[in-house]
Amino acid sequence: MLETRNLDKSFGAIHVTRNVALKLEKGERRVILGPNGAGKTTLFNQLVGEIQPSSGSIHLAGEDVTRLSVADRARRGLSRSYQKNTLFDGLTVWENLGLAAAIALGKGTGLMRDPLHDPEVIETVKEVAALVNLGRSLHAPVAAVSYGVRRQLEVGIALATRPKVLLMDEPTSGVGPEMSRGFHRLLKNLPRDLTVLIIEHDMDLAFDVADTITVLNYGEVVFDGLPEAARNSALLKEIYLGSWEDA
Amino acid sequence: MFRHTRLRLITLALLAIGAVLYGAFTGYFGLEVLTEIAILAILVLSLDLVAGFGGMVSLCHGALMGTGAYAFAMLASDLGLSPAAAMAGAIGLTGAVAALIGAICARSHGIYFIMATLAFSQMGYSLVFESPWFGGDDGLSDVPRPDLSAIGLDLNDPRTFTFWCLAALALAYLVAAQVLRSGMGRSMVGLMHNEKRLRALGLTAWRVKAVAFGISGAIAGLAGVLAAQQTQYISPGLMAWTVSGEALVVVILGGLGTLVGPLVGALLFVMLRHEVSAFTPYWHAVVGMILVAVVMSRANGVYGWIEHRLSVRGAHGKPIEPEVENA
Repeated sequence: MLETRNLDKSFGAIHVTRNVALKLEKGERRVILGPNGAGKTTLFNQLVGEIQPSSGSIHLAGEDVTRLSVADRARRGLSRSYQKNTLFDGLTVWENLGLAAAIALGKGTGLMRDPLHDPEVIETVKEVAALVNLGRSLHAPVAAVSYGVRRQLEVGIALATRPKVLLMDEPTSGVGPEMSRGFHRLLKNLPRDLTVLIIEHDMDLAFDVADTITVLNYGEVVFDGLPEAARNSALLKEIYLGSWEDA
Repeated sequence: MFRHTRLRLITLALLAIGAVLYGAFTGYFGLEVLTEIAILAILVLSLDLVAGFGGMVSLCHGALMGTGAYAFAMLASDLGLSPAAAMAGAIGLTGAVAALIGAICARSHGIYFIMATLAFSQMGYSLVFESPWFGGDDGLSDVPRPDLSAIGLDLNDPRTFTFWCLAALALAYLVAAQVLRSGMGRSMVGLMHNEKRLRALGLTAWRVKAVAFGISGAIAGLAGVLAAQQTQYISPGLMAWTVSGEALVVVILGGLGTLVGPLVGALLFVMLRHEVSAFTPYWHAVVGMILVAVVMSRANGVYGWIEHRLSVRGAHGKPIEPEVENA
């Protein structure tokens, strides 16, 4: 579903990603681990087209999308949530989700109808709101809701586009244990045919939801395999994980 | 997002009733003032559409208004089109020019967007000022008014012409409100709040900006057509950047991003101009002081302040401003 071939990105002499080769099958849940500065978010930015790779290619459902714009990739089913909330702060939670759904359904540029009153959009918003547990905050302005709700909305917006591939950049960043468990349930409840790539530091969550784990270090893939193999890898313990078993 | 709150609907009703009653009973001077308010209101409505709801603060809307005026005059006089066809052509042409400007400026933001639109404004002004095609600094005269005798209306009658302009204002408002409630309007508002995220959702941002700017320009073009019909004469002064600046002042004075506020702003601005200039030629200074007070008060214009005060009062008692439109 999503594949990178020899993806390389450098800023001057600094290599941020080096020859990254990933291959995600349809419905696969893969977690990317790595210490700070390993190039995880830069990899995401290349995948969605926010920055261009120096070399290598990106393929989505067999199509080379390396030179496509961010919007073109999104229209082909690639959606992401951000590590730092990237919301429509002046709008309500409902309007945030509705706008995302409307654009994905091709109703974001018409001049006659209000997409927020469109039955298909409303249905999508309700489904996503239930999935990310936003039911009670739907009509609240984003500026008035808690940080945890904003994190849920961050993921909800990405889901409202009904993507084929969902990239989640540290969805539990900054949230408490209870909210983290909520995300855990959310990830478990996602449709099984949805391909998910997650950057995550919560080890419990990572090992529980992941079908496969990729570890980046200094921009290179140093591990790519099953969660159990990752747990037992001495190399990973040394470069990043430490004693996660005690976590 | 744009909403027709109860307060806004009441304000619109009061403005409409006031305008109709005043237009029905006032004398010649009053009709001239009312026409002036209606034309300015159309212009500021067009500016609020993109500045207040799309974050595209433009300093070329005066030039777009002038484009509409010149296009109408030349299509009607030089090409011999009927005034009705010339009106449609002028509005369409202005919309196309605005869409092109919007597409070119779409990648710039904030001060750079303002400067880019100012550059287009100055180019337009220079073109009509220097070129004999457009009458140079003499401008163009004998601009016709549409012939509506077939439906029993004589636009050469001042009262009829005033109501013609008021009808155009009502139409412009309905178009602007419809755009804001449409997918295009929703996306434009989204772009103002977070362009990066909308791109990541699959929206082609420059296209939305270009279309929105084009619609706004077409409305500004309508204001220009009516301005040309009102005086039956146009000069390059209509395209000066100061016209755009004045329109921006009126939008801020009334309430940016409220659609209703700029209508109130246009009313206040024209009334102030006429009332204060009766006492002093420095009426701009008075308007300037009021604008400074409005800006320093951190209220969103006069109408924004009223909305805020009433919503605060409503929050401590019975809600007075429930949303008519349910998200």
